[in-house]
Amino acid sequence: MNSAAHIVYVFHLLVILAGGLVATRAVQKDRALVGLITAMFGVAGMYLLMNAPYLALMQLMIYAGAVGVLIFFAVMFTRPAQGQEERGRYLKRPLMAVAAGLLPAATLAAGAFLFIRQAKAQAPEIPVVQLGAGLLGRYALAFELISVVLFAAMAGGVLLGFERRRRR
Amino acid sequence: MSLDTPLLSLLLGLAAILAFAGANGIVLVWVERKVAGRCQRRPGPLHVGPYGLLQPLADALKLISKQLITPRRSDRLLYWGAPLLSFMPVPICFLPLPFLPEMATVRLNLGLILILSFIGLNSISLCLAGLGSNNKWSLLGAARAIAQTVSFEIPLLLAALTAVFMAGSMDLHEVMAAQGPWPWQWFGFMNPLALLLFLISAVAETNRAPFDLPEAESELTAGFHTEYSGMGFGIFFLAEYAYILIICGVAAALFLGGQQGPVAPGPWWFLAKMYALVLLVIQLRWTLPRVRFDQLLNLCWRWMTPAALLNILATMLVMLALKGA
Repeated sequence: MNSAAHIVYVFHLLVILAGGLVATRAVQKDRALVGLITAMFGVAGMYLLMNAPYLALMQLMIYAGAVGVLIFFAVMFTRPAQGQEERGRYLKRPLMAVAAGLLPAATLAAGAFLFIRQAKAQAPEIPVVQLGAGLLGRYALAFELISVVLFAAMAGGVLLGFERRRRR
Repeated sequence: MSLDTPLLSLLLGLAAILAFAGANGIVLVWVERKVAGRCQRRPGPLHVGPYGLLQPLADALKLISKQLITPRRSDRLLYWGAPLLSFMPVPICFLPLPFLPEMATVRLNLGLILILSFIGLNSISLCLAGLGSNNKWSLLGAARAIAQTVSFEIPLLLAALTAVFMAGSMDLHEVMAAQGPWPWQWFGFMNPLALLLFLISAVAETNRAPFDLPEAESELTAGFHTEYSGMGFGIFFLAEYAYILIICGVAAALFLGGQQGPVAPGPWWFLAKMYALVLLVIQLRWTLPRVRFDQLLNLCWRWMTPAALLNILATMLVMLALKGA
């Protein structure tokens, strides 16, 4: 990596960290979401740095564009009335955030150090055709499992919605 | 300093794109008002300059000189961030559009995905505007904008994908090159359903009438930009015109052969097709009444999404059959 890449890397890292901090520390949910979307932009930048533009654009389209917007939808309808926002110091929250961040980071780092001996100086850009073949061939099971997770999340959301309605 | 410096050419390109977007905004306002006038059997703007040509400049001057008001108890950061965020993706979206034969500002092999992913960011800015304004109309407008854009993104992407399949590339230049000079060699002619679906979704994505529910004047005052004055509104407006241009440019490149034409192929064909589509979009606004919200969502989920899926399947089958033959 040359020095320009280092600078870009640090910049994206700062964007991700700042976005994450805002997402966990903001009192208002809408601001927290803006933080989350900022962090997603940083992640997309990291993908670009790894020479994976397709993944970066998908990150923007799906996470920043679609998922972020859907969370906005949820925030909009669960908004507390003006002046009734939850206030107070959350001591637990940063601790939990650190724990939640460290766990996947540690797992990934362990995996990376165990299985990948040497990092490539410059990653080759993989053509979209090859990506598609991979997603429908070698990694088909993993790809489909993700959609099962999404389905479970959606079904859970619907179930919670019904539960809350019944309680009223 | 020579012109080859990447930074300088980047800055020049950016300035050129912004100037193009701004100039188009001004001209299209005039066209919009003239078309509106003609559609309603009146002459449209007449008095400022010849044929009312200076009317948009007067409008722009008015918008710039207006006081910027921040509503009390609104979220200042989100409120002023929203119009900026709405315009920010515009220069990026202009980059892959095939304006010029070879230079084409930037040649990207993922050009189409780049445009479509950044256009989606516009809906975030509408959300921010709705949430930040602390106004019920804005909030409702934003809620509508989200439901609408999230829904219509699906047929839009699927229709664009059919053209990508037919060309075998996501580079707009290569999609153009895969089509011939004559209209019957264009993807829009070979696959008219995809073109139709793309155009309908494009109108919905850019929040234009008959799908302008997020700002529906008669129901929500002005929807998400109710509270914005002066250039706050002006930037939203400029971004809207820029997005119309971009999406019409994409349609022209994907389905109408882009720079290909029967005589003298070149960028002028692309521009002519793009502006013809823009004119169509403008004319639609003044011809069709606004649809109801349930009609809008029914149209998307019941008709357009299944049609787009079936169309993509049929395209694949035909392509396989042609390949096998």
